[in-house]
Amino acid sequence: MANQTIKLGGGLRQDCDAISVMKAGMLRFSKPNKYWVESSQRRYVPCVGDTVLGIVVDSKADNFLVDIKGHALAFLPVLAFEGGTRRNIPKFEVGTLIYVRIVKANTGMNLELSCTDATGKAAEFGPLKDGYMFESSTGLSRMLLNSPTCPVLEALGKKLSFEIAVGLNGRVWVNAASPSTIILVANAIMNSESLSGVQQKIMVEKLLQRVQ
Amino acid sequence: MLVQRMEIDRADGRTPNQLRKLACSRNILNRAHGSASWSQGETKVLAAVYGPKAGTKKNENPEKACIEVIWKPKTGQIGKEEKEYEMVLKRTLQNMCLLTVHPNTTTSIIIQVVNDDGALLPCAINAACAALVDAGIPLKHLAVAICCCLAESGRVILDPNKTEEQRLKAFVYLVFPNSIQSVLPEGALQVGGEPYEHGIITSVTHGLMSVDEYFFCLERGRAASAKLSDFLRRSLQLQVPSESSKTG
Repeated sequence: MANQTIKLGGGLRQDCDAISVMKAGMLRFSKPNKYWVESSQRRYVPCVGDTVLGIVVDSKADNFLVDIKGHALAFLPVLAFEGGTRRNIPKFEVGTLIYVRIVKANTGMNLELSCTDATGKAAEFGPLKDGYMFESSTGLSRMLLNSPTCPVLEALGKKLSFEIAVGLNGRVWVNAASPSTIILVANAIMNSESLSGVQQKIMVEKLLQRVQ
Repeated sequence: MLVQRMEIDRADGRTPNQLRKLACSRNILNRAHGSASWSQGETKVLAAVYGPKAGTKKNENPEKACIEVIWKPKTGQIGKEEKEYEMVLKRTLQNMCLLTVHPNTTTSIIIQVVNDDGALLPCAINAACAALVDAGIPLKHLAVAICCCLAESGRVILDPNKTEEQRLKAFVYLVFPNSIQSVLPEGALQVGGEPYEHGIITSVTHGLMSVDEYFFCLERGRAASAKLSDFLRRSLQLQVPSESSKTG
C-alpha cells in the first residue's frame, strides 16, 4: 500500500501519517484509488457537482439565498440561468422549490449554486411547480438515484405515471395527475428506506392493491 | 490464620465491579437531526442533536464550530446544577468533536432526563456521544463515561444507583476516549508510551477522597471503560444499514 496516491472522500481525514475516520458508516473503495465512508444522515454535506433541491429563503441584489439542508445557506447568483441577463432576472418568492447544481463548496466560503449545467444550458434545473416535496435521509436519495433503477420506483412506474425529482440532500419532489397518486408514491418511497429489493416490491403491490 | 474478606453488600446484589444493564437505541426522534437514548439500569437519558447550523454565539471563536448544550431536568426549573452539567458536557464534547471541519456553525445538543437513578452525568455523556454519531457530526473519537463511588472501607464500587450515591462518602465521574481499532501497529497510536484509551477527557469529583483513592478509582474506571467501549461499538454497528448496491 505504500507509495500510492489515495483519494479520500467524505468521512475520512488525514492526521499526519495516519488516516482516521470521522463518521460512522460503511467504508467503500472504488478502483483505482478512492476511499470514502458511506453513511445516511438527515443533514447534507455539500459536494461540488451534486444536484440538490433547495428552498428560496431570501433574495438579495446579486444572489438568492437558498436553504439546502447543509450547515449554511447557499447563494444562487441571479444571473446563473440560461440566457440570464440583468433584464430578465427571475422572480422567486420566498418558499419556492428549485432544482439546482452545486458549483463551489469550499470550507469557510459561501456555497455557490447554479441553475445551468456545466455547458450553460438549462437542462431541467430551475423552479419546480405543483407537486409535493418531502424530506428524508441522504441514504434514501442515493438509493433512488442508483444506476439499475431502484425496485420501488420500477414497481411504481409499471402501474402509475408520475414525475419525481430527487435531490442528493435528502429532498424528494413528486408530481402526478391526481393527489391520491402523489400520496401513494410519496408513502411508498418513504417506507422503502430500510427494506430490501424484494420487500420493496411486495410493499408496493400491497399499497396498490389497497387503492384499486 | 485469619483471612478477612471485606465484601460490600450492594442492595441489588451486584459485585463492586459490575455495571448495570446497558441499553442504547439511535434515531428515535423524527425531527431531530440525530438522536439517541441511553439507559444504565433505571437511569435513562434522551439526547437530541440539531445542526450544524449557520452562525456562532457572540463570544465564541468563528474559526471553529461551536457546541451548545441544553440540559432539561425531569421535573422542576433549571438551576445551578443543570448549568454545571451543561458546562461539563460542553467541554467534554468540544474535546471529542472535530471543530475545524465546519467553521462558524453551531451544533445544539439537548439532553432530556427521563429517569434519574444515579450516575446521571455519565449516562448523559454516553447518550450525547451516540446522538452525535447518529447525526453524522465529525468526531475525533468516541467517549465512554463511568461513575466510580468510594465506600467507607476504601473499596471502589462502579456505577452506583441513587441510594448508593447519596449514602457513600465520595464519587467521581470519569470520561475516557473509546478504544481505537486500527490496522496500524501498536506503537503508532501511543501517546507518551501509553495506549490512546488510557487518556482521560473529563473527571468530576464530589466529596472528599485522598489522592491514592482517586488513582485507584481511575484504574477501576479504566478497566470498566473497555467493556463500555465494546458495548458502544456493537450497538452503533448494528444500526448501520447494509447497502446491497453502490454507485460509482
